[in-house]
Amino acid sequence: MQLSDSDGVDTDVSSVAMDQELLAMGSIGAQPTADRPPFAGSAAGLTDADIMLRVKAGDESAFEYLVQKYRRPMVGFMYRMSHNAAAAEDLAQEVFLRVYRSRSGYEASAKFTTWLYRIATNLAVNHARDTRNERPEKMASLDEPDEETGTTMDVADSSLTVEESMVRRERMAAIRAKVQALPERQRVAVLMHKYQQMDYKQIAEVLKLSESATKSLLFRAYETLREQLKEFV
Amino acid sequence: MKCDEIKDLMLDVAAGAGEPTPALNEHLLGCADCTGKLEDMRKTMALLDDWQAPEPSPYFDTRLAARMREERAKPERVNWFSWFRMPVLAGALALVLMMAGGVSWFTRERNPSQIAGKNPTVPIVVIQPGTAVGDLQALDKNEDLYANFDLLDDLQVQPDVDADQETP
Repeated sequence: MQLSDSDGVDTDVSSVAMDQELLAMGSIGAQPTADRPPFAGSAAGLTDADIMLRVKAGDESAFEYLVQKYRRPMVGFMYRMSHNAAAAEDLAQEVFLRVYRSRSGYEASAKFTTWLYRIATNLAVNHARDTRNERPEKMASLDEPDEETGTTMDVADSSLTVEESMVRRERMAAIRAKVQALPERQRVAVLMHKYQQMDYKQIAEVLKLSESATKSLLFRAYETLREQLKEFV
Repeated sequence: MKCDEIKDLMLDVAAGAGEPTPALNEHLLGCADCTGKLEDMRKTMALLDDWQAPEPSPYFDTRLAARMREERAKPERVNWFSWFRMPVLAGALALVLMMAGGVSWFTRERNPSQIAGKNPTVPIVVIQPGTAVGDLQALDKNEDLYANFDLLDDLQVQPDVDADQETP
């Protein structure tokens, strides 16, 4: 199920990575090895779990491939969990570090994305708990830059009038606040469903719930959002 | 179809992930409440699309590369508990423990002096000094001491000799 294309995993990431020659250059800090060809060219036909098994076997270029494939969705997920762009990048990097550290214990019994998002969810939830008192709710202001993105509304969209910008900013603040106010599991489920294009089965596996329980969880979450964002729709 | 039964279908339809089934359509035609809810849910999901996340910054890869270099430079941590996850090693360890336990049990069974100390049913025989058995045991236990008695005698004689020489 593809809900929102904006932050999802691109299906042609491998070809992009090849074009950028990032992997061949060892962009994630690995020293290129003379006896091992860059990984991306041989990724066709392999699942992410297969590729992770190659990471487990010591193939550094396979790890770089996974980073390039999941860096964007991971930063997006962490941004919506942490509401802070800088923290989101730190957290996304930490996810990849943990994947790398855990490579020797990886078993291909579950989908790679399930494992990845379980690590990401644990990290994000712990971060949210640790910084709960550091994020006081702020009123939207046109004069100050958004502390999450570092941009002002004018920069974000210069075609809007001041009034439209203000309305848009309030709407965005409301969306963030209402999603943030959801119970933890509901919030994670909505973010994975709405923005990460994960289906019920994948979300259920990450949250360790049944599929029907996940559907109920999501339904309750969207019902709450429908009620609370009524004035903006 | 009842209102409660269309929850899952409503979620998929509102998300644009599925077409309404004939049963759902039939229900929606006769239920203004569910029709309104479905429309609101569609709008809510569309509203959520406005929340865009930033792209990874140009420094993301550089910073991750630096962290990866640090990670690779660290000495590999040995997880001792991972040994226990290997079935062969776990079996071998269990076998060794069982053998050690068996040897310990067998040794204790064969040593009546230890049992005598712990088992109240076995009488404790106290061997008196001065008896033949007592003397033999004393000789046996203090064999080294008795073997060196001659040396002790020599040490005792030497000061006497020195004392005689100092005497005018």
